[in-house]
This record gives sequence, C-alpha cells and structure tokens, in this order.
Amino acid sequence: MSSGYKPDILWSPHHADRYVICDTELSLYRIGPAGSPETKAGALPLSEQTAATLLAINSDTPYMKCVAWYPKHEPECLLAVGQANGRVVLTSLGQSHNSKCKELVGKEFVPKHARQCNTLAWNPVDSNWLAAGLDKHRADFSVLIWDISSKFSPEAVPAEKVRLSGDVDSGLVVTKPLYELGQNDACLSLCWLPRDHQKLLLAGMHRNLAIFDLRNTSQKTFVNTKAIQGVTVDPHFQDRVASFFEGQVAIWDLRKFEKPVFTLTEQPKPLTKVAWCPTRMGLLATLTRDSNIIRLYDMQHTPMPFGDEVEPTIIERSVQPCSESIISSFAWHPSAQNRMVVVSPNRVMNDFTVFERISLAWSSTTALMWACGRHLYECTEDAGQGAAAAEKDIATKMRERAQSHYGHDTVQVWRNHVLAGGDDPQLRSLWYTLHFMKQYTENVEQKQQSNKQSLIYSGIKNIVKSSSGTTETRRCWSGSDRQTDVPRYHSEERSLALQLCGWISRGPDIDVEPFLKSLEQEGEWERAAAVALFNLDIRRAIQILNKGASAEKGDLNLNVVAMALSGYTDEKNSLWREMCSSLRLQLKKPYLCIMFAFLTSEPGTYDAVLYESRVAVRDRVAFACMFLNDAQLPRYIDKLTYEMKEAGNLEGILLTGLTKDGVDLMESYVDRTGDVQTASFCMLKGSPGEVLKDPRVQCWIENYRNLLDAWRFWHKRAEFDIHRSKLDPSSKPLPQVFVSCNFCGKSISYSCSAIPHQGRGFSQYGVSGSPTKSKVTSCPGCRKPLPRCALCLMNMGTPVSSCPGTGKADEKADLTRDKKLAQFNNWFTWCHNCRHGGHAGHMLSWFRDHSECPVSACTCKCMQLDTTGNLVPSDSV
Amino acid sequence: MDLHILDHRLRVTSISKTGLEQYTHPLIKLIFLRNRTRCKFFSLTETPENYTVVLDEEGFKELQPSEHLQVEGSTWLPLNVVSNGNASSSSQSVGVTKIAKSVIAPLAEQHVSVFMLSTYQTDFILVREKDLSVVVESLVEEFNIFREEGGESVPVHSQDACNGLQRNGREVPHATVHPVLIPENQFCVMSLDPDTLPAIATILIDVLFYSNSPREGASIDQDMECIKFFSFSMIDGYVSLVMDTEAQKQFPTDLLFTSSSGELWRMVRIGGQPLGFDECGIVAQISQPLADSDISAYYISTFSFDHALVPEEDIVSVTEMLQAQRMSS
Repeated sequence: MSSGYKPDILWSPHHADRYVICDTELSLYRIGPAGSPETKAGALPLSEQTAATLLAINSDTPYMKCVAWYPKHEPECLLAVGQANGRVVLTSLGQSHNSKCKELVGKEFVPKHARQCNTLAWNPVDSNWLAAGLDKHRADFSVLIWDISSKFSPEAVPAEKVRLSGDVDSGLVVTKPLYELGQNDACLSLCWLPRDHQKLLLAGMHRNLAIFDLRNTSQKTFVNTKAIQGVTVDPHFQDRVASFFEGQVAIWDLRKFEKPVFTLTEQPKPLTKVAWCPTRMGLLATLTRDSNIIRLYDMQHTPMPFGDEVEPTIIERSVQPCSESIISSFAWHPSAQNRMVVVSPNRVMNDFTVFERISLAWSSTTALMWACGRHLYECTEDAGQGAAAAEKDIATKMRERAQSHYGHDTVQVWRNHVLAGGDDPQLRSLWYTLHFMKQYTENVEQKQQSNKQSLIYSGIKNIVKSSSGTTETRRCWSGSDRQTDVPRYHSEERSLALQLCGWISRGPDIDVEPFLKSLEQEGEWERAAAVALFNLDIRRAIQILNKGASAEKGDLNLNVVAMALSGYTDEKNSLWREMCSSLRLQLKKPYLCIMFAFLTSEPGTYDAVLYESRVAVRDRVAFACMFLNDAQLPRYIDKLTYEMKEAGNLEGILLTGLTKDGVDLMESYVDRTGDVQTASFCMLKGSPGEVLKDPRVQCWIENYRNLLDAWRFWHKRAEFDIHRSKLDPSSKPLPQVFVSCNFCGKSISYSCSAIPHQGRGFSQYGVSGSPTKSKVTSCPGCRKPLPRCALCLMNMGTPVSSCPGTGKADEKADLTRDKKLAQFNNWFTWCHNCRHGGHAGHMLSWFRDHSECPVSACTCKCMQLDTTGNLVPSDSV
Repeated sequence: MDLHILDHRLRVTSISKTGLEQYTHPLIKLIFLRNRTRCKFFSLTETPENYTVVLDEEGFKELQPSEHLQVEGSTWLPLNVVSNGNASSSSQSVGVTKIAKSVIAPLAEQHVSVFMLSTYQTDFILVREKDLSVVVESLVEEFNIFREEGGESVPVHSQDACNGLQRNGREVPHATVHPVLIPENQFCVMSLDPDTLPAIATILIDVLFYSNSPREGASIDQDMECIKFFSFSMIDGYVSLVMDTEAQKQFPTDLLFTSSSGELWRMVRIGGQPLGFDECGIVAQISQPLADSDISAYYISTFSFDHALVPEEDIVSVTEMLQAQRMSS
C-alpha cells in the first residue's frame, strides 16, 4: 500500500469493470469502451479503446493509509480503510441506502494505543476477519485481527478517560480484537495464506517474516530478512511469496522458508509496489519510486522448488504504460489477461495491457508458428499463384529438388538442371560443365590416358596454363577465298578446353557443326549464329539467322541482322564498319552484339566480346581459347575466374573445375544463396583427396543431410548417403551395431561371413521345413540357437543366401522392393528397455496396434519409449 | 527474548537554557527537516535545568561546540528488547518494569551505568560503548543478542568466559538512595504520524523554545508543585512525545496518537543533586520495586536527573514504596 497521499488503485474483486482510486478520498470508477453510449460525456479516456466514468466519491475517512476491498460478492463495494491513527473504518461507495452492508458501514475498530495502520487484509475464507498491521507500541500488539460482525466492546470505558481519544460515541466502535499478534514490533505488511486460511504471514520491523497459526498463536515459524515490505502470495502458486525491501525483491518458497529461493536484481530506487499477475502464471510486476516504467519478472519457467546449484531462469523486462508521466501505482485487472490500470501522482489514469512475449519457431518446412499470450498463430508460405510471385525461398526450392531426385542422375549429368526446375541458368551451366567433364573423363579412361584425367576436373584455368606448342593459323572465311587477318590459335589444351565448353566433341578436328545443330534445335538462333561466325563461317551464320527468322515465333529482325551481316567487308575504313561498330551497341541481344563486335574489332583486341557479361561464360571462354594468344589467354582466364569467384557464379566452375578454387567459388555461391544441396552434389564429384576433405565441403554435406533429416526425408537422406559413399568410399560408416550370441558373445554376422564353408551344416538347425528357405537360426560360433521371436516363437535368423559375403553385388542388383522388404522383415529387433523382441516385420505389425510389449507379463510400454517411432517420414520411397 | 544492539552511535549532550538561541537552528533542522539530515536518532528533553539532547553522530555534527553545550565524553549504544511476539502476556505492565529484572538488574550488578530512554513505541537502554563486552557477557544467558549492522541482524556471542569476572569499575557497597521529587502535573505519552509534523510545527516550536515566556491562564502561578518537562524524540522515523496535560491542550486532538484508555501518568524525579553518568544502579533502585508490585513505568534519563513516569492511579502506592525504601536504608 502506498503511504502519503500518492494515489493508489484497487480493482474490485468481483466487478471486472470497477476500481477505486484512493488518495485523500476514495473514488469509484467504472471502466468501459470509449465512445459507447454507456460512457457519459465526462468520461476520462484511459486508452484508445477504454474510458472511465466516475461513479462515486467518498471522503468520509481522512488520513487514509491503506485500503482493502471486501473479498466476497455480498455485500459488494465494502471497503476497509486503515487510518494514520490505527483505526480501521468500514466504508462503502456508490451503494444505495438499503443495501446489505448498511449496518457495517461506519463501523470503527480502534486499537488500544493509537499509531499508524500500515496494512489491511481480509481473510479469504472467513471474510468476517480483517487483519490490520500497525506500527509498534511499547505495550501493544502490532497485528490485530478484527471480527467485523462483532458488536461494540462490552467493557464500558470510564467517561473521564474518553477525552483524549476523540469521538467514541456510538456502538459502532469496536475495541476488542479477536486476536492480537506480534508484540513489541511493527507490522509493515501481512497476508493470509491461501493454503490455510488460519495462517497469516507477517512482516515486521525487526527484520523478520513470521507465519502465525491462529489456532496456536504462541507458535510461529519465522525467518530473519531485510525483505519485509509488501508480502504477497502468488495466486497461481500458493507456496510462493514475494516480499521486498528498498530495491530488492525476495521470492520465498513457504515449504523451504529458511531463506529466499532467490532475489531479483536490485533496483537503484526503493520499490513501492510488487504484485503478482492474477491472470498469468509466475508474472511479477514491480514499481519503483518516481519511475515511469513497470518492471516485469517472468518466472513461468522457474522450477519450484529448485536446487541451490541451478541459476533461476527469470526473464526480466520493462514496460512503459504512459510515455512520460511517473507512475504512482498500478493494479492488475482481476480477469482480463495481462491488463492493468496505472495511475500517476496527479491522478491521470491509463489502461494498459502488457504484451506477452512472442515466441516464434520455424518449422523445417518454411511454415512459421508463433505464440502470444493464449493464442497460437501459424503462417505458411504463399504458394505463389501469380507468375509474378516472389521467388521461392531456397529451402522450398531445395525441398522440391530433393523430391525430384535432383543431383542423382549420374549418367546424364546435365539432366540434373532439369530436375532442379530447369529455370536457373547458373545451375544449367554447372551441370553441363560437370557433364562435359565427366564425358571427357570417360573417354580418357577408355584410352587409358590417365595423365589427362587430373586436368579435366581442375578446370580450364589450369588447362590453359599448361598449354604449350600453340600454333597460329590464318584461315579463309569459309565459302570465300578472302584471307582473313584474324589469327586463330590451336593446341591440344585449347581443343580440350573447347570440348569442356561444349563447342566441339572429342576428336582432333574442330567441328562445331553438331553443336550448331543442337543450338538450332533449342532455338538459340543468335547464339548459334555467333558460334558459326566465330568459326569464320559467315554464310552458315546468315543461314542460321534466316532459319531463326522463319521459325515458329521467330524474330523477323533476324533477317535484317542477316542482311547487315552479309555486307561484311574487311575494308578498314568502310562505312559498314563505322556504322556497325557504333550501332551494334543498340542491339538488345548480346550474341548479335558480339557478332558485330567481333567483325569490327582489330585482331587481338576483342574486349567487347570477352567482357560482354550477358554472354555465357562458356562461350566467352571458348572464344578466348580460339582467338587469344598464349600471353593474353591466361590473363583473361585468371581475371574471369576471379570475377566468378567473387560473384559466386556457378558458370565459373568451368574455369576452376572441382579444385580448391572451385570450393572457394562454391563458398561464395553458398554464402549468397544458401544452396547447400547443389554444393554438396557438385563437390561430391570432386577428387576425394583434396576437395572432399575440405572442411567447407564436409560442412555443406552435413548440413544438407541434417536438412533432409529435419524434413523427415529419411529415405532421401539414405539415398544421398548411398550416392555419397559411391563417390567417396571413405564416408561409408563402419558397422556400429552387432548382434551378439547370448551364449558365446560373438557377433553372429561376423562369424557368418567368416566361415562360409560351414554353411552346409546350418540347415539342420533351420526350423522351417522348406529346404529351399534355409536360414541361419543358430549362432555360427557356438551353434546354440538364436533367440526366439516373441510373436511367432520361432528362432530368429536370416536366410543363408542373404548372408554377407556371398556375392552381394550381383544379388542386390536384382532385388526388388518386395524382396528387400522381405529381408528386412527377418531382421532382429528388440526393445532397449525390456530386451524383448523378434522379427522386425512381426514387431512392426504388433506395434501398429499395441503400445505394450508382446511378451505376456511384460508391461513395458516399448512403443512409447521410442520417441521417433511414431514419426512418419514425409517422403515416400 | 531477543536483545538488539542497534546500529546507532549516540552522544548525550546538554544545552543550557541561556544558550538555547544558538542552537535553535540545528534543532529545528533535526526535528522538522528530516530529508536534510541523516540523523536517525534524535531526542530532546526539556527540564527546568536544561535541554538534554541525545543524538547520533550524524546529528551531533550539527551542534557547534560552545560554552552552552555540555557533552558527555563517551559514545553510547542503544539496546532494545524484542519480546519476539510470543512472550507470556500475563503481565499487563509495560515499559521499564518489564525489563527491570532481566536487563536493568543484571547490568546494575555488573556496575554498568545505563541511560534510559522510554518512548511511545519502545524502551531504549543506552550503555557506553566501552561497556559493551560486559553487557553482552552479563545478558547473554537471558537473551539472544543481535547486533544490527547495515540493516542486517548479526548474532553476537560472548567472546570468552574469563571476561565475565572483570567487573566494571570499583565495588560500591550499596547505592545511595537519592531523594525524589513528585510534581503535581499529569503527563501523557503520545505519538504522531511524522507526515503530519509540519501541521503542528508552530505549536511544537512554541512549546519547546518559548516555554519560559509569560503565558496567560493558570500556568503562570508556578507553585513549584509542577515542573516543566517536555520530551520529543524521533527515532527511526517514529515520533514520541511526552508532555503534561497543560501542554497537551495546545495540540489538536485528532493528530496525536495515544492510547484509547487515555491513561495519564505522574512523574517521579530522582536525584537532589545532578546525578552524573558514572553512578549505576539508580534505575534499578526504582524499577525493581515497581516490577515487584507490577506497576508500569516509563523512564527517561536526562543530563542531570532521572525521571520515571508511573500511572496516575498508582502514585500513592509508589510514594509509599519509595518512602519505605528510604527508611530501610
């Protein structure tokens, strides 16, 4: 309770829309929606939505020190007021005269010795009982428990003695309390314990908290502490009590009353009010003097009681209900969640709801869930109906790609970009590069030229570096006898590079015709024309452009370009040359643009072609390999490689190959996109020794696997692991689980493969009569029978034929899905808790309908112990 | 029962009536301007002889030394008995009587000089700081002793048993029995909400500092049967007032706290000559017989004399008792 004349605020315990402000007088307010017809014109706005109407004022009781609202429904609006001289007066507000509390209103309870009344508390059960905590007096008790229904004291006070104590006039004065507690000390604060309404918790001046039981007042439990102000019981946790002293709040557990379970961080200013939120578990609000913030402590996740060694988890935060004004007092709303009304020293009131902290969680499948207060919200990614919908999140893309077996096409490697959706030029370039690299490696393998192999995956950058024996030729324009002055360079490495660029297929001669055909097929007319032109076949280029113009949906402008092209002249100062070199810049299509750039450039200076970033890297590189000399080429390639690495452009893999450089490039790609999937699949093809051991690569692979697990794509993850172990045998995990024989303790699978020649003897232990389905049902080491399946009661074992070591490679190839499943059905499974088990297939079907162990008399809830057993993979096999 | 050694280091001083005007400024500051001073323990008692001021070191800084200010040389520590709430309430007596046997008598036996200060709220027993070990020694059996330091109560145990033999000062065969004076005025002991102090400031200043100025009415005829006695104390935020009914009439009734029975007290002043601070057993002399007859009492020591307040209705028996004590010695 506040002291002095700063206003305090009290909610009605039963009317959720009424509260009382008390300073020098009591004012009853009703709170309602702002602007509604119910709220009158004089209503005070409390917030944007609510306003308060003054219903009644009571100024009958001067020198108020504390107020307590009668806790029962009837009589409503009965208040006990503690005064500075220790008297407790019952009063009422806004009640009609014939109300039920008529005979109670005005009743006074007077202590023997006058001193300040510090605190009041109604007993929550025996609502006739009112406890008053007073300052100390040398000869009197500090806690008086009054019975409000008692009649005035029978002992008549001698008339001459009355003169000092004022107006003792009527029968409304009670001087004999029901109980007296706490001699020679002041009571600063008290509360009834909700767990036992006969018990009272007192906080006294002499630095102690004491619990009195009214059934035996001479006994008490007490503890010395400084925190003796404002004791208050957590309404949600009746053994938890908060008390404070100056800036410090102590939290007590009444079951361990020796010391506070913890104290909250000390505030620089003394506290004036501490209150538990009645609508929210474990939320404590505190207010310090002259402050405009209310500090909240969330103890929801603080275990009670907790051991001494753990740090309590308390979330602390502050709220500022009204921006500038200092808060004099506040009161939680009794029922509306987290709502409070605060009042400033000049009686400006504010209705305020403490916003609950939002906890937020991403699901592994892009859905977002958040909780606020008692509400739970879910938010999922918009499917993106319109074509203009924002690009999908990379996680969604990866998920879709995983479902379409992206990365798993190891034969036609380029097809992976189609599996990825086929709309990403970088992925397209990447998978074509990998495709060409693989193709070349395979060719080389056939020719047993092992020295070249290492070069392939190391990319064009390394290939051109080792270039030697370059020859220079000057060819005619094909179909014309005019000599060109364009030098063209040839070497083994350069033609290898052209192969990797996809311009030519293998072979010594440079024939781009197949490539042109495929481009024509795909309708890439401009690109095909450019490639033809770079191969000095201007006629073919014109032909391609004509074809393109006449094709379905063809661009008629291509004819115009063809015409322009046909006017080519190598005359240096011709009008054609002049016009082309300036007008080409206005061409929108990059390939058309570079065609004219090529034709109008001086030999050896092809920057307009080489640095046209809209042109695919592979075409630029191929061009460079044809027309740059040995000095220019490595410089250009280095520069381009650097650019690609910086940008994380996957087209650059063509240059870097799957080398350390490639990992660097991929790193910046992953940094840019987060696409660990592509990174994993791509780098798996790199050399195991160098690239795969790179911690970055391992990190991408592990993250991708975790991602698949998080999506519950367990089958996909298994497929990935298989794929990975094929490319990187070192990643194959060693067997970690062995089934050992109960008798000899040896691993049964180990022995099985170690001694295949004993196979003949096993059939005699087979329980199954069929000779074709012979099984290993005994330990191969000691020949004792293996355990029985709890369901079919047969000895467990696996068919001999499927034992490892019997040519499994051939066998696996023709195993159908059914056969694989049948094999799995024979596997050993057992519960780690009760150790009962049996054939995997039997157990699976048993636990589909049961949660308890199939062994009779075993009550183990095996299925419930399996936390992942109930999860369903979200991908199908 | 608990005995608390409070966290105040006190000085006992006296201001002569003639020198009062030099000290009105610090006194008013200490009484009314609580937020301007860090003094937590302040008591001012006016007697016909002088003003006795007991205050802590923070307050003592305010008093400028002069020929009008007499200071007792030692530092005093206040003791306070806390009954811990569950003391047997068989005895209805209050105040000094309650602790006569348990505290005052043992201290007198150990020749510890005490300075008593009763207030509306409680009784303080002031002992010299140098006597503390003897005090602890002699009271440790009866009480749980706590020393309050910076807001914490620290249990105190007697250092060693051998110290117990070390008596305080010389052996005095038997205390002299001092003459007593029983004036006619009736006294009341009251309290006040410190927040309402400003409301009675002018009255209080008038009563405290202008009591010697001529006043109309009955109080003028100084028949020596009444003596001037007024005590104001403010200790840890609690105000206590002791005044006679004449002074009480000047205060508004609704602000002062008193007991509902409106009890009145008579005074017994002990000592013909100023008592000094070294003699011990004076309080015990009075409190012992009062305790024997279960009579409540307040006891206020001042610089020169000791004052006991006993209930009006018991004054006759007290007078007889004191006379009997005289005769026997």
